[in-house]
Amino acid sequence: MLVRRLRFPKTLSTCSIQASDVHTQHYDVIVVGGGHAGTEAVAAASRVGAKTLLITQKIQTIGALSCNPSLGGVGKGHLVKEIDALDGVMGRAGDWAGIHFSILNRSKGPAVWGPRTQLDRQRYKDFIQSELLSTPRVTILEGSVQDILLTTADPGKPGRHKVYGIRLAHGGGEIHSRSVVLTTGTFLSGALFIGQNTSPGGRIGDLPSCAGLSHTLKEVLGLKVGRLRTGTPPRIIKDTIDFSLTLIHLPDPNPTPFSFINTHTHCTPEEQLPCYLTYTTPGVERVVKESSHLNSHIQEDTKGPRYCPSIESKVLRFPGRQHQVWLEPEGLTSDLMYPQGLSMTMPHEKQLCLIREIPGLQRAKICTPGYGVQYDFVCPTQLFPWLQVKSTQGLFLAGQINGTTGYEEAAAQGLWAGVNAGRTSLSMPPVSLSRTQSYIGVLIDDLIGRGVTEPYRMFTSRAEFRTFLRPDNADLRLTLRGFEELGCVSEQRYNEALRVQMSLNDALSALESIHLSAARWKDKLGDVNISETKSSILNGVEMLQYKDVSFQMLASAFPELSGPYLEFSERLKVEAMYRPHCEKQRREMERMQAEESLYLPQDIDYLTLPVSLSQEVREILDSVRPSTLGAAARLPGITPAAIIHLFNYVHRTKHRNHSKIVGVS
Amino acid sequence: MHFFSSWRRSAAVIKVSLTHSKHDWFVFGRSLSVRRLLCSVGSEDDTIFALSSGQGRCGVAVVRVSGPASAHAVRSLTRGFPAARTASLRSITHPQTKELLDRGLVLWFPGPGSFTGEDSAEFHIHGGPAVISGVLQALGSLPGLRPAEAGEFTRRAFCAGKLDLTEVEGLGDLIHAETEAQRRQALRQMAGDLGRIYQDWSVRLKRCLAHVEAFIDFSEDELIEDGILNDVDAAVRQLQTDMENHLSDQRRGERLRSGVHVVIAGSTNAGKSSLLNMLTQRPAAIVSATAGTTRDVVEVPLDIGGYPVLLSDTAGLRDTTDSVEQEGVRRARQRVEQADLSLVVVDLTQLPSEPQLVPVFLRGHLKNILEQSSHRQECILILNKSDLISAEHNRSIQASLEQSADVPPACFLSCQTRDGLEDLLTLLQNRLKTLCGDPLIGSPSLTQTRHRTHLQKSVEALHQYHQYKDVDLVLAAEGLRLGLSSLGRITGRVSPEEILDTIFKDFCIGK
Repeated sequence: MLVRRLRFPKTLSTCSIQASDVHTQHYDVIVVGGGHAGTEAVAAASRVGAKTLLITQKIQTIGALSCNPSLGGVGKGHLVKEIDALDGVMGRAGDWAGIHFSILNRSKGPAVWGPRTQLDRQRYKDFIQSELLSTPRVTILEGSVQDILLTTADPGKPGRHKVYGIRLAHGGGEIHSRSVVLTTGTFLSGALFIGQNTSPGGRIGDLPSCAGLSHTLKEVLGLKVGRLRTGTPPRIIKDTIDFSLTLIHLPDPNPTPFSFINTHTHCTPEEQLPCYLTYTTPGVERVVKESSHLNSHIQEDTKGPRYCPSIESKVLRFPGRQHQVWLEPEGLTSDLMYPQGLSMTMPHEKQLCLIREIPGLQRAKICTPGYGVQYDFVCPTQLFPWLQVKSTQGLFLAGQINGTTGYEEAAAQGLWAGVNAGRTSLSMPPVSLSRTQSYIGVLIDDLIGRGVTEPYRMFTSRAEFRTFLRPDNADLRLTLRGFEELGCVSEQRYNEALRVQMSLNDALSALESIHLSAARWKDKLGDVNISETKSSILNGVEMLQYKDVSFQMLASAFPELSGPYLEFSERLKVEAMYRPHCEKQRREMERMQAEESLYLPQDIDYLTLPVSLSQEVREILDSVRPSTLGAAARLPGITPAAIIHLFNYVHRTKHRNHSKIVGVS
Repeated sequence: MHFFSSWRRSAAVIKVSLTHSKHDWFVFGRSLSVRRLLCSVGSEDDTIFALSSGQGRCGVAVVRVSGPASAHAVRSLTRGFPAARTASLRSITHPQTKELLDRGLVLWFPGPGSFTGEDSAEFHIHGGPAVISGVLQALGSLPGLRPAEAGEFTRRAFCAGKLDLTEVEGLGDLIHAETEAQRRQALRQMAGDLGRIYQDWSVRLKRCLAHVEAFIDFSEDELIEDGILNDVDAAVRQLQTDMENHLSDQRRGERLRSGVHVVIAGSTNAGKSSLLNMLTQRPAAIVSATAGTTRDVVEVPLDIGGYPVLLSDTAGLRDTTDSVEQEGVRRARQRVEQADLSLVVVDLTQLPSEPQLVPVFLRGHLKNILEQSSHRQECILILNKSDLISAEHNRSIQASLEQSADVPPACFLSCQTRDGLEDLLTLLQNRLKTLCGDPLIGSPSLTQTRHRTHLQKSVEALHQYHQYKDVDLVLAAEGLRLGLSSLGRITGRVSPEEILDTIFKDFCIGK
C-alpha cells in the first residue's frame, strides 16, 4: 500500500495514493475534508481508537489557512485552549507556527483574556500534516467524494437512514465505514465571486466539490439547507508597502503558548514579527460606491457575517467612518501581507484602486485578489448534541457545513464529531458537552438549539458562565473527563492535569488555613490596601482577592506556600478572584445540566401531541425539534408550563410503551 | 470544601445520565431525575412566602412561609414561639416598625414533617386587604425571604418526596394556570405607566450591557472609543438613582398600613357631624341644630370595605369672632390641607333654587372650602338633607350637575333617613381603592412585593458593577447581567442574541 506515514518536517506533496488500495479496507470512520474541522475529526477519532480514513481533494492543502493567517483571540482563544485540553491538534500547531503572540484583553478580567497569534501559513500546514501522518490508525487518501452510501436504518434506533461509507468520484469505487464525518467547508455547492464573475468552487485554486453530495443531503436525506456567504481580502506584496505611514504593533515580549503541555513556543521572542495598523479614507468609500454596480456579491440577499463584513458592507452600513486595517505577516519568510479588514469582492482592478486610497498602500501591488464565496450549509437544528444528523445513523457534520465561521469554531466541532464518530463506530454511546462546562458546549448547544441565520462566531458574551469558562482552567474542565470518560486524551496529558489539579487544591487549602486579622495581614504584607476594618479576620484566599495582593507576596510571608506552588502563582490568583462568583452560579449551572441531560424522543408529533400546549409553542417545537429538555427550555417563546407538560407527557409515554422504546446510541 | 472537587461532582452527574442513555432515549432514573430537574429550578436556600388562600375577599386569609428562615419569620412577627402543629393566637407585628398588623392564628410545622418537607409556618389572619398586604410586606422586609414563584410550594413538596408522580402530573396544570394568570396580571400592570418605566429601564440596562460586552469582545480588534465605559458608568449610575427613587416611593403602602386620611369639611350646620356619626354608627360627635357646635377636630378610625380610614370631623368653616371657634376653623383648614380625601358636605336647602346655577355655586363653594386647588381632585361632594327638598328638585339638580364638567363626583344623602348611604359607601370605597391600590385585584400587593424584590436585586447587582469596574471588567459585566436578569423577571428575559443585536446596531464590528 502506498499510504506512507511521514515524519515531520517531511511534506506531503510527494505522497500520492492510489484509490484502489483502500477499496478493500473497511474503516471505522471516514472523514471527508482536510480543513480545520476535518483534521481535528481525524485526529480525535483515531485517539478514541477508531481506524480512520481522511479523504481530501489535495493532500497539499491539508491544514491550509484559507483566510486570515492568525489563530485565537477573545472567545476564539478560549476554543483553542479547550481543543488543546481535549488533546486536539490546533493549539500545538499554533505554538509551532506562531510568529506574533499576544494575549488580548490584558486590561480586562483573566476570564476574557484572548490568547492570539499570527501564523506562518507554511509552518502551520506542515505541522498539521506531519501530526496526522504520525497519528496511529490514520490513513490519508487524495480523492474526491461523489456521494455517501446509505442503507436502511437499524431498527429500534432513531433515524430513517444509516450511512455505510462513501463512493469516490471518477469511478473510484466505494469505501465502507461505520461512520462518516462531512467537513466540506465552503465547498458544498460553493460559488466564488469577483466583480460580476461567478465560478463554482469553495476556495480559489481548488476544484469544486461534486454535486452528488449536495443532492443527497437535500433530496435523499431531506435535510433543510440554507445559504451563507463569506469573503477574503486581497493579498498584498510586502515590498510594495510603505510601513513608515502605518503604526507598528509589536507582539508580547514573552510569547505565551496555547497548549497546556507546551512551556514555550517554537518561535523565539526575538524572531517574532510585528503587525501594522492603518486606516480607511474617504477615498475608499468613494471606490466602493463607484464600483457597487460591478459587484454582484454584495447585491445578493444571502446573509454574510455581521462581525466579519466585507469593506463594501462596512462602508455601506456605516458611511463616513474610518475603519481599521491591520497589515499582518503571512509567514516568517513570506513576501505577502494580509490586510485584515479589507475583505472585498469588487473587480480586480477596482480592488487595486481601493487599497491605493489607504495610507501606506498608495503604491501597493496585489498578488491574489479578494473574493467572495457563497455556499450551502445544513441547518444545524437537524443534529444531535454529538453532531450526528438526527435522521441518519452514523453521519456526522462539522465546521462551516453547520453554519459557523472561523478556524477555531470549525476545529472545535471537528474534534467533537470525531470523538463521537469514533465512539459510535466502536459501539460506545455518544457523548455531549454541557454549555455550563465549556465554550465548545456553548457553541454546539447554540447551533443545534437555535440554528443560525448568519455565520456563527464565538463571543464570550454567549457564555452564561463566563467567570468559570476561562482559558486558564480549560484543562481542569475538560482534560480529566477527556481521559476518564471519553478516551480522547493521552495518559501523559491526563497525569499532568491531575498534578495541576492537586497542586491548586493543596495550595488553596493551605491559603484557606491561614486566618489573620486585617491588621496582622498589613503587618505581614506591608502596605496593602485592605478595605476591611482592622479586626475582621481574613483567610489567605480572601486576601488573594485583593487587586494589589499577589500569590508571590503571600508566599514570601508564609514559607509553607512557596516551593511547589509558585509555578501556579497566576492561576491561583485567578482562581481566588473568581471563586465566590462561580460558587454563586453553581445552582443555576446544576439546573441547566439537569435539563440538558433529559433527552426528548425525536419522533414526537408536536402538532398533535395530546397535552395542553399552545399552537405557538407547538409550532416552535415542531420546527426546531430540540434534542433535550434544556434546549427546549432555551427556545424563545417556550413557557415553563410547556416544559412541564412536555416532560410529563414523555415520562408517561415512556412507561406505557416501555418495550417499544430504545436508546439513542 | 475544595473548589475543584465540587465541580467534579457536577460533572459526575452528567456521567451517570450518559450511561443511562444506552438503555433509554429519555434519560433519567425514575422520579429522582424529575426531582433534580424541578427541584433545581428555585433556590432552596431561600425562604418563600405567599398568600395561600384564594384570591378575593374572604373572612380568613392564610399566608404560608416555607424554608430555613421560617422560624426566624415567626419569631420576628410574633412573641412566644408556638408549639409545633398547634394553632396559637398571637399578635402579629411589623418587625421594623413594631406596628400591630393583626391578631391571628400562627402555626408552626417543623421540617421534614411539613407539606414542603422544610420548616414552614402559616399565619391565619383577617381577610382584609390592608391586613394581608401588611403581613406580606412585613415578611418581605426580612432578610432571606422572598415571595414564592408560581407553584413553588408544590415544587418544594415534590422535591422533598412528599408527592408521588401522579400528583405531579397535576403540577403542570397548576403551574400553567398560575403562569397564565400571572401573565395576564403582568400585562394588566405593564400596560400603564409602571410598565413603561420598567421597559425603559430594561432597554437602558440592555444597552449598557451591550456596550460593556462589545468592549470585552471587540475593543482589541475594533475601533471602540475609549469613552464608552465612561458613558456606561454614567448611564448605570442614572439607572440606579431612578430605580432607588422608585423603590423609596412607598406612599401607597403607607396609606394601606396607617390608614387613609379622610376629612369631613363644609359650612356650619351642613350636617358634617351627622355624617360622621352615621358612618361610625355611634354618636362620636355632638350633633345639634346650633351652628358651630363642633369646634375641635373629632377623629375616628374606621374600616371601610377593608381599607383602614382615619375619619375626621371638623368645625364648620365660617368667619367668626369667637376665638375658640376661630382656632377650630384654623385646625379644620389645616386638616383639609393634609387630607388624602375630603368629603365636602353641602346643605341642599342652601343651594340656589335655579338648578342651572347650582354647578357655578358649588365650584365657588369648593374653592372657598378647599382653598388649595389640588385637593379638589381628591374630593367627594355630599349633598345632604335630600329629604327636605322634593324628589323632582333633587333630580333636576342631579341632571344639571351631570352636564357640567369640573364638579367632583356628588352624592345625594339624607343623614336623617339614611337615603343614599349605600351609594356614598360604594363611591367612597372606589376612591379608597385608587388611593391604596387594591391588593386583591390580581393580587398586586403580592406582585408588587415580587417586583420590589426583583428591583432591589437589580439595584444591588448594579452596585456590583461599580464595585468591580476598575478591578475586573468581567465581574463588573456580571453585575450588569445579573441586574438585567432580575429586571427581566418583571419585563421578560433578554437573550444573549438581543445583546449581540444591540452591539451590531451600535458598532461597526468587522475584521
